[in-house]
Amino acid sequence: MADDRGELLQGTLEMLVLKTLALEPMHGWGIANRIERMSGNVFLVTQGSLYPALVRMKRRGWVRAAWGVTENNRRARYYELSPVGRAQLEVERASWRRASSAIDGILNIRFALGEA
Amino acid sequence: MSIAPDVVARLRSLLFRAREERELAEELRTHVEMEAEHQRTNGLTDVEARRRSVIALGGVEQVKEDVRDARGTRLMQDGAGDLSYALRTLRRSPGFAAVVILTLAIGIGGTTAVFSAVDTVLLQPLPYQQSGALVRLYQSNVSAPESRNFVSPVHYVEYRTQMSSFESAAAILTYDDTGADIGTGDNVRRIRLLPTSANYFDVMRVQPAIGHGFRLEDEDGTGVEDNVTAGPVVVISHELWKQQLQSDPAVVGKTLVMSGRPYVIDGVMPAGFKDPIAGAIDAWVPIDLLQGHDPREAGNHYLTVIARLRAGTPIARAQAELDGLSVRLQQQYPNAKTATAHLYSLKEDIVGSSSRALEIMLGAVGLVLILVCVNIANLMLVRGSERTREFALRSALGARSSRLIRQLLTESLTLAVAGAVAGMIVARLAMSAIVAIGSGSIPRLASLSLDPRLLIFALLLATLCAVLFGLIPAVRAARTQPGEALRDQSRSATSGGRSMRLREWLVVSQVAVAFVLLVGAGLLLASFQQIRQVPLGVKAEGVLTFELNLPAARYDSTARAQFYEAFAQQAAAIPGVRAVGGVSRLPGTGAYHSWGVTIQTGPLAGDEKRRNTGADNRVISGEYFKAAGIPIIEGRGFTAADDATAPDRVVISKSLATAMYPGVSAVGQRLRTGGRSSEVIGVVGDVAVDNEGHPAQYVYHAHRQFAGDRNWALTQLIATTGDPTRLEGAVRRTLALRDPQLVMFRPVTFDAAIGRGAAQRVFTLKILLTFAAVALALSALGLFGVLSYGVKLRSREFGIRMALGAERNAIRGMVMRQGLTVTAVGIGVGLLGALGLSRLMVAVLFHVNPLDPLVLVGAVLFMAVIAAIACFLPAHRATSVDPRSALQ
Repeated sequence: MADDRGELLQGTLEMLVLKTLALEPMHGWGIANRIERMSGNVFLVTQGSLYPALVRMKRRGWVRAAWGVTENNRRARYYELSPVGRAQLEVERASWRRASSAIDGILNIRFALGEA
Repeated sequence: MSIAPDVVARLRSLLFRAREERELAEELRTHVEMEAEHQRTNGLTDVEARRRSVIALGGVEQVKEDVRDARGTRLMQDGAGDLSYALRTLRRSPGFAAVVILTLAIGIGGTTAVFSAVDTVLLQPLPYQQSGALVRLYQSNVSAPESRNFVSPVHYVEYRTQMSSFESAAAILTYDDTGADIGTGDNVRRIRLLPTSANYFDVMRVQPAIGHGFRLEDEDGTGVEDNVTAGPVVVISHELWKQQLQSDPAVVGKTLVMSGRPYVIDGVMPAGFKDPIAGAIDAWVPIDLLQGHDPREAGNHYLTVIARLRAGTPIARAQAELDGLSVRLQQQYPNAKTATAHLYSLKEDIVGSSSRALEIMLGAVGLVLILVCVNIANLMLVRGSERTREFALRSALGARSSRLIRQLLTESLTLAVAGAVAGMIVARLAMSAIVAIGSGSIPRLASLSLDPRLLIFALLLATLCAVLFGLIPAVRAARTQPGEALRDQSRSATSGGRSMRLREWLVVSQVAVAFVLLVGAGLLLASFQQIRQVPLGVKAEGVLTFELNLPAARYDSTARAQFYEAFAQQAAAIPGVRAVGGVSRLPGTGAYHSWGVTIQTGPLAGDEKRRNTGADNRVISGEYFKAAGIPIIEGRGFTAADDATAPDRVVISKSLATAMYPGVSAVGQRLRTGGRSSEVIGVVGDVAVDNEGHPAQYVYHAHRQFAGDRNWALTQLIATTGDPTRLEGAVRRTLALRDPQLVMFRPVTFDAAIGRGAAQRVFTLKILLTFAAVALALSALGLFGVLSYGVKLRSREFGIRMALGAERNAIRGMVMRQGLTVTAVGIGVGLLGALGLSRLMVAVLFHVNPLDPLVLVGAVLFMAVIAAIACFLPAHRATSVDPRSALQ
């Protein structure tokens, strides 16, 4: 697969997982698939980054995991947002807004400082 | 964010690792399948879809590794891996592991036990409030200011009332064990009594937990002796209260019958209270101090005095006041013209004589600890060199050196922990052994307990030692080029190298330390031999002794006189008994009743300066002289005719006879002692006053004549033709026939009774012997290890030599020579150490020069023999190398 799709920064991935799980509990592949679709196939979520991130988030108490059954009758581990995770999502969202508006601000400066 | 879920999650990962791994695998497989299904619905073939999904998702094993990292348990899991690897390696060399663990156990256990003992006895303060202010007061003589005598009741009363430096001063009667019998019928038993002055509990600053202590008026004749007064009182111990009075809370005012006489219970002491000098006591009774107001008693020394200094008063200032008072008292009491007194810190007084024994013990254990560390170092170095090849190989295969070092560290720590656990067991055993051997002769030792701080200290030391010397080879291996090490180890036929020389020096130090301990033990052994050979003037073999007290309530003086004689006759009829007698104190067990003697007839009678002398007084019954093996030199011993109706008569010892009646026969002369003027009817052989053979002069009184003076508790001697301990039952039955309520107290052989005073030396000897044996074993082990290793490294060289025609004997000689050279250097260094040791040893030696040539030569030979044995096996192994296999 020719790939111009980018991998996500670690912190960003966790924020997106939180957001995904805020809608409904989901298994690993579903999370990855949903993020890819929601981003318009811009982001690629690999197993190598997704599962370590899920383990880390579980350790921090943001998500809970339980085995369930998919609509295709397949056993899968479902992840669910905990209240701590819900609060964390707000924290992440706020800090992302701050960071992205700051980055926007920098990118929107018309003249380089050297020219002033 | 709380860390609780984090810790829980990590713990769970650690505990349920297998399940987590299984679940992870399943989760990842599901993921791949879902992705494949997804691709398939987009129109790809099965195989292609699956291939693509795997590519898209990355390698499964890699993902697993990443997830494992994310779990945050990697370090712990690696640690567990190291541990199981270490256990596996150690299991493969059980000999090495066992020796290291055993060595560590001895080091940790021995050190902890001995340090605990020293701490308990020497360092911890006495368990009384402001115990630093407690002093012991001894009387002495102007001519012998160093002597430490008991205090006369007259002087005690003066000190107590006149000394302003004393907050209070208590008198107790530790002069000899005072006992009482309690209970009835079969339950009769002897308890320990301590007569004390009324202020005893104030001086100790410990009051009865229930009730109250004594009043001053209780001191007026309420003794356990004959002097009957109204209302004898008693304070009992917590233990006696529990056992005998069922912990009755309303016990005060009730009656306790002791030795047939009722006592009113005044109070119960708190649990665990012990007298600093007498130790565990069952009951305290008021001391009879009426004699303290009788000036004639100023020369009668029998009280133990403990005083409490006023707060802030230094002992020197109190001593100065006491000196002034002594001068005044010398003028006041003409019969104590030369009496002075000295103060000593109570703690120093109690532990003083045993501190040297403990110092030696401490020195010995210190040396053993050095040995242990050296041995561990040696073993670790040997093992490290043996494994150079293994490390080189693993390093060549890509193991990082930090990982290798961590693994060795794990191995050392595993050994250290195992050694520590074994060490704690050894410490427990060693401590109960120390208490069992020493508590009779070393004060305060009975309260020995394991000090956790010391345990930690020993633990750290041994661990440090193991880790440090475990690391040296690891670091060395990490530094060398793997290729070089591999080549070196497999090819070189001869060895030499720095590590070998370091190990040899370690063995030299081991031999030196072991030699020093060997010399110490040898010197004590020689002392012991000397003591046993000192003539005491008695026949101590084949004699059973026990103490026998007749309760004054049921036996008046006439009955007592009659009882002791009748018992002697009856016991003498037991088959196998040669003679039976009683004495107020056994010879060889210390001075007792040292009274003034006035010469009334003979050449010195008119000489004012020389007619007063002193002698130890003994009251005897039955055939005492025969039973104790004391020969009658002149005149006769006592017979049934020498009873209360006959004129007063005494028998004296030969040296006293010579001193008092020079040039004339002592028989028929007269002397005055113990308040009566008597005729000398016989002269007997001299006996020693202690077990070191110090001579003393004696006056013997017949109990028949002297029973009225006080309730003499006579120690009975049953001389037999065979083993005295086998007669114990028969003697007990004979005693029970006469009076079933009497207690046969402390039955022991005469030999052992005399030996009791030497218990401290026995204690030191046993400890030193143990340490010397351990040291010898360790150094032999070290020597053996180093030589064996050397032989192993040089097996190729030996093979070549033998192939070239070298004699087996020559090869064996080479190895033996190497080992014995090391031993010789070690002994040389050890000799210097023994020189230093000798000064420390003088105090505990008896008639033995600390540089006794016999002991030194013996130690050298012994060491050499042990070393030769340790060298022989490796030497023998060197010759068993098959030249062909060595050359291939």
